Amino acid sequence: MIDALSRRRFLAFDFRDRRAPGDHWIRVHRTAMACRFDVTLSSDDAGHVPEARAALDEADRIEAVLTVFRDFSVIADVNRRAAIEDVTVDEALFSLLARCRELHADTDGAFDATSTPLSRCWGFMRRDGRLPTDAEIECARASVGMEHVRLDCERRSVRFAVKGLELNFGAIGKGYALDCMAALMRERGAHRALLSAGRSSVLAMGGRGRGWQIDLRPRLASRCLARLWIRDGGVGTSGTGEQFFEVNGTRYGHVIDPRSGSPAAAGVLAASVIAGDAASADALSTAFLIGGRDLTERYCAAHPGTLAVLVLEGSTERTEVFGHYNGARLEKLT
Amino acid sequence: MNLTPEQMVTGRRSFLRAIDGVPAVAALGAAAVTKGPAPGGPVRVGFVGVGGQGRALLSRVDPTYTDVRAFADINPASLASADAILSKNGRPPATHHVEWRDMLQHEDIEAVITAVPLWMHAEVVTGCLEAGKHVLCEKMIAWDRGGYRRMMDTAARTKRVLEIGYQRNYNPIYRSAYEGVVKAGTLGDIYHVRLAWHRNGNWRRKGDPPSKDYDASKWGYPTWDHLWNWRLYWKYSQGLFAELGSHQVNAANWFLGCVPERVQSCGGVYRFKDGREVPDHVYSMFEYPGGITGTFSSIESNAFDERYEAFFGTKGTLIIRNENDALLFDEGTAGAATGIEVAPKGAGAALETSETKPAQAGGNATAAAQQSARTNQPSPSTLEISGFCSAVRVGTPLLCGPEKASHSASWCIAANESLKSSAPVKIA
Repeated sequence: MIDALSRRRFLAFDFRDRRAPGDHWIRVHRTAMACRFDVTLSSDDAGHVPEARAALDEADRIEAVLTVFRDFSVIADVNRRAAIEDVTVDEALFSLLARCRELHADTDGAFDATSTPLSRCWGFMRRDGRLPTDAEIECARASVGMEHVRLDCERRSVRFAVKGLELNFGAIGKGYALDCMAALMRERGAHRALLSAGRSSVLAMGGRGRGWQIDLRPRLASRCLARLWIRDGGVGTSGTGEQFFEVNGTRYGHVIDPRSGSPAAAGVLAASVIAGDAASADALSTAFLIGGRDLTERYCAAHPGTLAVLVLEGSTERTEVFGHYNGARLEKLT
Repeated sequence: MNLTPEQMVTGRRSFLRAIDGVPAVAALGAAAVTKGPAPGGPVRVGFVGVGGQGRALLSRVDPTYTDVRAFADINPASLASADAILSKNGRPPATHHVEWRDMLQHEDIEAVITAVPLWMHAEVVTGCLEAGKHVLCEKMIAWDRGGYRRMMDTAARTKRVLEIGYQRNYNPIYRSAYEGVVKAGTLGDIYHVRLAWHRNGNWRRKGDPPSKDYDASKWGYPTWDHLWNWRLYWKYSQGLFAELGSHQVNAANWFLGCVPERVQSCGGVYRFKDGREVPDHVYSMFEYPGGITGTFSSIESNAFDERYEAFFGTKGTLIIRNENDALLFDEGTAGAATGIEVAPKGAGAALETSETKPAQAGGNATAAAQQSARTNQPSPSTLEISGFCSAVRVGTPLLCGPEKASHSASWCIAANESLKSSAPVKIA
């Protein structure tokens, strides 16, 4: 009887509160960077829809700066001129370039924001994969390499040391956009939201309890492979399932190893990375897909605050976890 | 209306959803209501009127909140159909009454849910309130002004809960659009609303009387058709303005925070000249204070526009389509389309992450587990009934009490007066 009464009292609270806000997600979304950007709010944060919308405006603004698909973007201008002259860029873009340089060095060149000529020669820029000749690959490789991008901190300028070099932020831009969106939302007083770009780049702002629950499910995997709870952190996922083509039974994925000039072949089906910011998580997921277990293990050991989940190729879809991230809890699903 | 590519995508998605047979309202319901019962247990309820709408409500009752004890209906076939719903849902049977007064007299019930023809609302509701019952009355509140005033007075005097069934008030997408867009000032100043509910079909229902000797005149209907198709006759109905328009005007009043003052309408029986009295095409223009204008149209000859409420502000436009899809557009030609969706939290993940999903894929960033959970979410009607029971039991605030509901009724009544007189009518 005592049990029944206390249970009743306990449940009575929920009954009274059953229309309390917070029982559904509000997703404010817009298409940018050829994918869907979502800002997810809990319904008790519905008052922050204007901030979410402003954040989506920010995604549009960043796309207009970074895109290589518009002739008049800032990056299109840099790509046109930087082999000829020093091009001064604004502070934000300069910081992004510096971060790209750093990530390139820290991942032994696996992350490279200049690999466009290789993607092009494999047909992935037009989403029309083809097998290039060795000569074509070598020709493309001559114009690839973040080490050829010279940054002058004093003048905040960028210069390409070789001709034909092209910057392309495809592997980091979405995460970078999410970081900027979150900064803008925080400035305006919104501190709790889940931001996503095309599902592959995610940024958790704040969070209740254990944090935002996110399922990791690479597109080529047959099931959800891991479950993540995260507060304040970025999640990036790269995989071979996004774009690929097959020739004689061999699958060629769209992520090119800039060091070899060929599609990543490290035996990784997909890589998810949790890091302090979405840009790093985004870039590292690509790097780990390319660099495989060795690079992932090395990087996570040298960079505390990085958690990586690799899904290894093979019929068992084995997952391996590396490193650690404060604020994230990961549960592998078998 | 200009359709952007994004809207087109939305339209395709809605189409796919429709042909997939997924109930749109269920897809947008709030989180499952699984807790209970409260002290005192579920509210003991009797239904007065278990025709189409009454049974729609009955099928959405959550037993955690509502204990259905009895039915009253003058049509034995409806009583049998209502029984079938309880049985299908594994609930105990309810007792039957023909006269609602008998039900009040003989049943141990605390509240009544009623969905009788509009002309009977005032009589049934005031009778139930006088008998000490709380009442959830299907919209529109009453057929005439005197009726809803009596209902409001009686509820106040008897201190009983009286809620009017406008489900939009309980629909998470409306609540989110109101809180997150309208109240937040995202639309700027709103000077115009456009309400449309367009269908292509005949409102007349086909159906035989429950028996050959069934006498509808006993209940005030000269023929079986007058009872069965009461919506088509002025004596019992206020037509499309009541059955459809008052839903949308109720929502517009809520979003605008004011009520219309003047209305001018036109319409008639243009397509289905089958002896009905109420028009199959209606159009109404109305004015709110502060220079806000609104229009409502309902036609039965073309469904291209479906149904939507559109709010046009100085900074943006909000369109809620088919009660399940909210779209927001920045003002200006360069404005980007922003969509807003509402999804129940459920027990699953807030997001499923994978490699980049291209925009063309539709991009509904919801976990598969959550999508399957959506179909089990309570509909706005369930939330409404449970909310009513919650108000009865523990005093949670009403989302659409009689006063709020009376404003859309007064618009409707004036709109029909204008339609008949071809002159503008001041809304009392």
